[in-house]
Amino acid sequence: MTQTAERAVATGGGRAAAPARHGPGKRRAGAWLVLLALIVAAALVLLPFLIVTMNALKSPADYSSAGPLAPPHGLHLTALKDFWVRVHFGQKLWNSTLISGSVAICAVLVSLFTAYALGIGRVKGRAWLLVLFIMANTLPQEALIYPLYYLAKQLHMYDTRLAVIIILTAIQSAFGTYLLSSVLTAFPRELLDAAAIDGANSWQTLWRVVVPISRPTLGVLMVFFFIWTWNEFFIPLIFLVSNGNQTVSVALGVLQGQRLMDATMSNASALLGLLPALLFFLLFQRTLTRGITAGAIK
Amino acid sequence: MRAARAVRRSTRAPYPLYLIPGLLLFTLVIGVPLVMNIGISLTRWPGVGTPKWAGLANYRDLLHDEAFWASFRHNLTLIVAMAIVPTIIGLVLAYALFDFVGTRFGPRAASILRAGFYLPQVLPIVVAGIVWSWILAPDNGALNAALGKVGLGSLAQNWLGDEKTALLSVAGVMVWIQLGFPLVVFMGALQRVDPSLYEAAEIDGASWWRRFQHITVPQIRPEIFVVLLWCTIAALKVFPQIFVLTKGGPGGATNVPSYFSYQNFFETTKVGYGAAIATVLTAIIVMLTAAFIRFQGRTDDANS
Amino acid sequence: MGSARRTAAVLAALAAVATGLAACGSDGSGPTQASSPTELRLWHYEGPDSAMGIAWKQAISEFESSHPGVKVKFEEKSFDQIQKTAPMVLNSNDAPDIMEYNKGNATAGLLAKQGLLTDLTPEVTKRGWDKLLAPALQTTAKYDSSGTMGSGNWYGVPNYAEFVEVYYNKDMFARQGIAVPTTFAEFTAAMDKFAGAGVTPLAVGGKDYPAQQYLYQLALSKADRAWVDAYQRYTGKVNFSDTAWSYAANTFKDWVGKGYISKNSAGLDSEAMGTAFIAGKFPMMVSGTWWYGRLSNQIKKFQWGSFLWPGNTLNAGSSGNIWIVPKNSKAKQLAYDFINITMQKGVQNTLANSGGLPVAADLAGVTDPKNKELIETYQKLTQADGLAFYPDWPVPGFYDTMVSETQKLINGSAPPDKVLANLQKAYDSGVAGR
Repeated sequence: MTQTAERAVATGGGRAAAPARHGPGKRRAGAWLVLLALIVAAALVLLPFLIVTMNALKSPADYSSAGPLAPPHGLHLTALKDFWVRVHFGQKLWNSTLISGSVAICAVLVSLFTAYALGIGRVKGRAWLLVLFIMANTLPQEALIYPLYYLAKQLHMYDTRLAVIIILTAIQSAFGTYLLSSVLTAFPRELLDAAAIDGANSWQTLWRVVVPISRPTLGVLMVFFFIWTWNEFFIPLIFLVSNGNQTVSVALGVLQGQRLMDATMSNASALLGLLPALLFFLLFQRTLTRGITAGAIK
Repeated sequence: MRAARAVRRSTRAPYPLYLIPGLLLFTLVIGVPLVMNIGISLTRWPGVGTPKWAGLANYRDLLHDEAFWASFRHNLTLIVAMAIVPTIIGLVLAYALFDFVGTRFGPRAASILRAGFYLPQVLPIVVAGIVWSWILAPDNGALNAALGKVGLGSLAQNWLGDEKTALLSVAGVMVWIQLGFPLVVFMGALQRVDPSLYEAAEIDGASWWRRFQHITVPQIRPEIFVVLLWCTIAALKVFPQIFVLTKGGPGGATNVPSYFSYQNFFETTKVGYGAAIATVLTAIIVMLTAAFIRFQGRTDDANS
Repeated sequence: MGSARRTAAVLAALAAVATGLAACGSDGSGPTQASSPTELRLWHYEGPDSAMGIAWKQAISEFESSHPGVKVKFEEKSFDQIQKTAPMVLNSNDAPDIMEYNKGNATAGLLAKQGLLTDLTPEVTKRGWDKLLAPALQTTAKYDSSGTMGSGNWYGVPNYAEFVEVYYNKDMFARQGIAVPTTFAEFTAAMDKFAGAGVTPLAVGGKDYPAQQYLYQLALSKADRAWVDAYQRYTGKVNFSDTAWSYAANTFKDWVGKGYISKNSAGLDSEAMGTAFIAGKFPMMVSGTWWYGRLSNQIKKFQWGSFLWPGNTLNAGSSGNIWIVPKNSKAKQLAYDFINITMQKGVQNTLANSGGLPVAADLAGVTDPKNKELIETYQKLTQADGLAFYPDWPVPGFYDTMVSETQKLINGSAPPDKVLANLQKAYDSGVAGR
């Protein structure tokens, strides 16, 4: 039986089973009210983005005289074009995409393997191992900088994107390991036993049984890793010195001078910069909402 | 005979081998630097040139540093704002979007709303800080202006500039930023829940609240634990947001340990002292994590 | 999904990652130079529309036309990145050949002390750059073996200067019938008149640097050169309860009480302060000449002008950022040639005409009357040896302490003597740690 069919039965059954409590008309109105409340809440949450957009379209003089919260007087886009050329924004977008994409994939894989061993393999000492892996994310980044700089220099990897990818993969996979191993600890044993009876080894079980069912969690991890890495600015700031290697977040820093700041440009470039991350999220949302996998259990 | 052999094979499966990539990465990127960091914390060093040995002097100074311990107190407020509040709101919102909106208005509507609530997580923190400082500005800020328009002008404050309201204002902004994270995790988690459990409950006439309490929460317990711990760790490490909104002020009212550590690493260039702060901070977070994980493990065992 | 398809998917993913990583292997790290370099790697962090950006662009084209066969590889950096990574970069093979860097003990002084900068003294005397720079400007170009400015070898060369003055809204002054104050008493009287009319006279940013500059200006009104030397160059004991500092803190608090400084300013940063002034919300703003160009471009609604803080011989200010030549530079001669070009009249006059404050321009070549006025004010200041640097310079990280303590003065959450005591503690521990 398909998922949607099951759900239809569930809701239909529910309504039929409890007619005394809510008439269909009342519930319908209540449902719309809740939806409206949610839409209003979402709109409020998005209000700052409206402000960012307004300021992205202003000219600097307009912004200084009318203030940041006034709507723009006319559209001012030439400065944005100039900024794009000035910092070779296209190249920065590519660098960010390359780094974020690589980290997302690598970190998901590393988290998967580690979580498989901890959550399903139940290796000895897994609680302490888990704490160890989580530590990758608890150490403040400032504390890592000098030692990593020194190591990178020794390995001739200072000022390379590869170094940044390796470092961020280690840091991000801490969360992936934690989330996945927690989820996999609750993985239904029957499925694993069934696979074992069919003669599958651990590698086959991983890819044929565990991954398909864990897809929503893996999807969540991909999205998070991409977006977190995209917005990382500290490690790229320190390790990516040549302009050719820099990411969007580092390029944005160019607008923050020592004493003066270009606010309209910061807003405009931030919008440009966040579009790829947003796109990634929207694309991967589909993985998150694809049909229920619990059905596979049946 | 064959089945028994197959089962035995799976119990001898090479699970420890799967740990190799993670352990390798960890040692290189975290383990070695951690040891080096502890080494640096035993020296006095401005970041350039040769470090001077100082033994435990940095730790002794840290023990007596009032600013450091005060920053931990500020962190407690932020833990509530970044872990507890978003988790609760995220849970209710996830359930509302997934089960309520998703079923009555279609999964598309739920996805759109989810994207809306998640967006604050995508905005670069520097820009988020700039925009919120405009909204919370005392004289022409959007918040005070809005309060004035609905007649609540007397409630207008110097949100980020007054020591009494600064920490709470920062906490409010943090809730806005953090909300999307638990929401997305929980909605992903709800995908795992077997719908037949809900069916059975609805047939029994259970209300929305009871279904939430007795099915949803227990089923996605792993994710709840993870989100709580992760947000708490994030709260203990929070720094860029503070930096952009208040720079630890006014008068140090929003200073937090991680910002304090950053100041020592990069502003006062007392790198040895900064390393000591980072070590102490890490030790505290690790102890907290270990305790939390043990607790999580025990509840898992009790429930499986 | 069959196992074959699954394996293929994994392999594809790994292959994609591997290709991506391979692409990362070759990237923009510094090339090794031949013995006669054909490239000058130059970094600075001034925006392309700023006076320095425009002038230095001209310098680059002048350099390339006078050095055929040599290309200038210019990379625009962010101040933030340079501030954090300079020691690391200069210690590596990726160091540029010439770079803009911040002046002061905590920045250039520190790098000089660590031996990361080339000693420029022979070049300076050879090319006569010292003749072009007023003594006050040379202070921030020379550092001794302990990294203190004012004496020792030359490690940097400034092209421009900066100082703090009072910007004012001429229309608002006219509306209240106030003339430009020439004495401190007139200054306070003007502020009083504004406050009485319900207008906060001073725009202050308490969240970053502006507020402490007000405090410093007040202290400087009761100070002399020896006081500045003791504070900035550790030539004597610094006492934060002396006449100058006590006067400053108490007057500052007084001004908040009288409404000259808004109680809300603790939460405003310099950007908010500037935009408020440009929008015509405040009649006066005390800040640096780095605002000059922006004010010229963006103030459309009213007439504006500037005057020196009335009654002070000493004012906050110094040379601008300096050109440094890293020890690891691979094209030192080319770097010196470039610096030379920036010190000549051509580039210096462009700096002036773009709204900047040059160190050695020819006034006859300056066309805009407002820029002329700026340079004349500056020359008056240097002739009286009136540059007193900035309040946060003496101790690394003192900036944050200053911001925090002035916020307390604005919010009234600590009395002046407590604030001064905190400043004393931070200053003493910072100096002891040098």
